[in-house]
Amino acid sequence: MNNSVQQPNVALKSIVKRYGDVEVVRGIDLEIADKEFVVLVGPSGCGKSTTLRMIAGLEEISDGELYIEDRKVNLVAPKDRDVAMVFQNYALYPHLNVAGNIAFGLNIRKVPKDEINRLVTEVAEILGLTPYLERRPADLSGGQRQRVAMGRAIVRHPKVFLFDEPLSNLDAKLRTQMRAEIKRLHKRLGVTSVYVTHDQVEAMTLADRIVVMADGRIEQVGTPMELFNNPVNTFVASFMGSPPMNQLDAVVESNAEGSFAMFGGQKIALPELEELQGADGRKVVVGVRPEHVFIEPTEDSSPIKVELDLIETLGSEALLHTHVGDTPFVVKAETHGDIDHLSSIDTIYIPTRRVKVFDGETQMAYGFVKAEG
Amino acid sequence: MSKMNMNLYSRGDKTFVMVNMVLIGLFTIAALYPFIYVAALSFSSGFAATAGTVVLTPVDATIAAYERVLTAPEFWHSYMNTMFYTIAGTLMSLLIVIPGAYALSRPQLVGRRFWNLMVAFTMWFHAGMIPFWLNMRDLGLLDSYFGIIIGFAVNAFNIILLRNFFESIPSSFAEAARMDGANEFQILWKVFVPLSKPAIATITLFCIVARWNGFFWAMILLTDDSKIPLQVYLRHTIAELSDDEEFAATLLSAAYSVETVTAAIIVCSIIPVLLVYPWVQKYFNKGILLGGVKE
Ligand SMILES: Nc1ncnc2c1ncn2[C@@H]1O[C@H](COP(=O)(O)OP(=O)(O)OP(=O)(O)O)[C@@H](O)[C@H]1O
Ligand SMILES: [Mg+2]
Repeated sequence: MNNSVQQPNVALKSIVKRYGDVEVVRGIDLEIADKEFVVLVGPSGCGKSTTLRMIAGLEEISDGELYIEDRKVNLVAPKDRDVAMVFQNYALYPHLNVAGNIAFGLNIRKVPKDEINRLVTEVAEILGLTPYLERRPADLSGGQRQRVAMGRAIVRHPKVFLFDEPLSNLDAKLRTQMRAEIKRLHKRLGVTSVYVTHDQVEAMTLADRIVVMADGRIEQVGTPMELFNNPVNTFVASFMGSPPMNQLDAVVESNAEGSFAMFGGQKIALPELEELQGADGRKVVVGVRPEHVFIEPTEDSSPIKVELDLIETLGSEALLHTHVGDTPFVVKAETHGDIDHLSSIDTIYIPTRRVKVFDGETQMAYGFVKAEG
Repeated sequence: MSKMNMNLYSRGDKTFVMVNMVLIGLFTIAALYPFIYVAALSFSSGFAATAGTVVLTPVDATIAAYERVLTAPEFWHSYMNTMFYTIAGTLMSLLIVIPGAYALSRPQLVGRRFWNLMVAFTMWFHAGMIPFWLNMRDLGLLDSYFGIIIGFAVNAFNIILLRNFFESIPSSFAEAARMDGANEFQILWKVFVPLSKPAIATITLFCIVARWNGFFWAMILLTDDSKIPLQVYLRHTIAELSDDEEFAATLLSAAYSVETVTAAIIVCSIIPVLLVYPWVQKYFNKGILLGGVKE
């Protein structure tokens, strides 16, 4: 896995967090480059927030080492780590106005008044908060509060930004807007950022690299496209992409033409993979992304009989919810403005080169190519 | 809900509201009448007061009782003492209760359960009066201003009240302040105290009222008349006038009596509390957390 980078700004070495006897983070190795935007994703309770809070210094590190710019900071207080954090619930000080909230950390650090004024004005300018500087948080909209929370973080020019699900309290439209704004801010300020979310669209759009976590461990680290095209196991495959990758349990069978995955009396041609040599009779999981399936015959594809359950129309595209045997199978198809031609579909075509094969036992991907760092 | 549309209530609900109003009305009168009576008494003549003819308004209106009260230097002296005990005592209480409650509310406090238990313990169990008096004596706190102030500075109920309020403040406030570089003292004074204004106003008022009305222990612990508070002076005055046979002999013709002088002192002692209350109430505005966090 490409968890290491040339010049790490933040480095986690075998980081472990225990609460009593329970290990909730079980050895995280990760290096984050200067100016990089890294997103931690994973199901609820997998240890994303805990990891982030250990970087912030809000949780003690049970084991392992944490470096920020080559300095080991395991025992350094949060305020001396030069990191800033944006909280999920904003945690704005309700008794201070917007300017007071943004300036709080500077006042604590005894920055001269003129300098504070200059910095607050500058940050308010960047975030479009200038008209609201005198207002209290209670008199702001959700998006404005979110911006104040970010202003409080960026005004200190920290080495690292930490975000814990900063957009989860916003409605869908505002979330999209703020997502773009965070991206823009990151481009402009170029500060190393670690961002926790369980929204994989957020992860895909914001990240330079995504870290997929499960059960206190890192499953895979890579660019959004690497994770999308080259998932290391079935977990990552089902976690990234929406709708997620279809997965069919099958058994390998080979003949002169190549290897096939057999299931319920049907077969899918598999790409040539080293692991499939002499693998006859082995259990595998076949993975196919909904958007890679054709509804008309094409070259090098396997026709599969399916039963259509329902069509979900998204506009230019539609999701065909079908099943193969007992296994649900989702297909994303173009509508060209009309879904009539989709309603009678009973065969789909799976292009061989798009098929992913995972081991039936270990769930690990066959033919996994380690991406270059 | 300034205006209720009674049409929207069922008959049962209307009856309920009516009964409530009548009951509240009765309670209000019961609470208010003593004030009115004492005020009327203080402006009545001694004869009328002794004869028991005062009901709602002054009878033979006079300010003789007030002249008697306000011209006594001891009155002013005890008034000053009460002011001092109230202000210094309340400040001392806040100075101990606020940091104490904060410490007890912090999850990282070592032995937190034990300390909380010890504080709560004092609410239910006391050593008793005589051990307390002996304790004060042995500490050299009898007959001293400082004894009165420090001896009654800590009230477990106030600590627990404020601790619970602090505990209800989302942890992200303290964490955000820590990330911003604040130490525990700064978190307390710059974040928690401003966020807790309603709770602090409540305990401040409790302290002020308790101090202002403090009588029993002041009477027991203070023998030096120059240090006594107003309430003890009031008692002294009642005793003095009742025992004064010369005064008793002239009673029928006197412009004031024990009752009217007592009433005048009570009125004088109530006024400051009445003045302070609206000022403190300003801080009872709920919803101060509003907008700071998003649930
Ligand atoms: N103070 C604590 N004591 C014991 N266990 C804890 C404590 N804090 C967190 N945990 C456990 O640690 C695990 C990881 O929690 P964490 O908050 O890091 O999850 P997360 O990945 O951020 O989840 P979510 O997406 O729901 O926010 C959870 O199982 C949680 O129950
Ligand atoms: Mg979390």
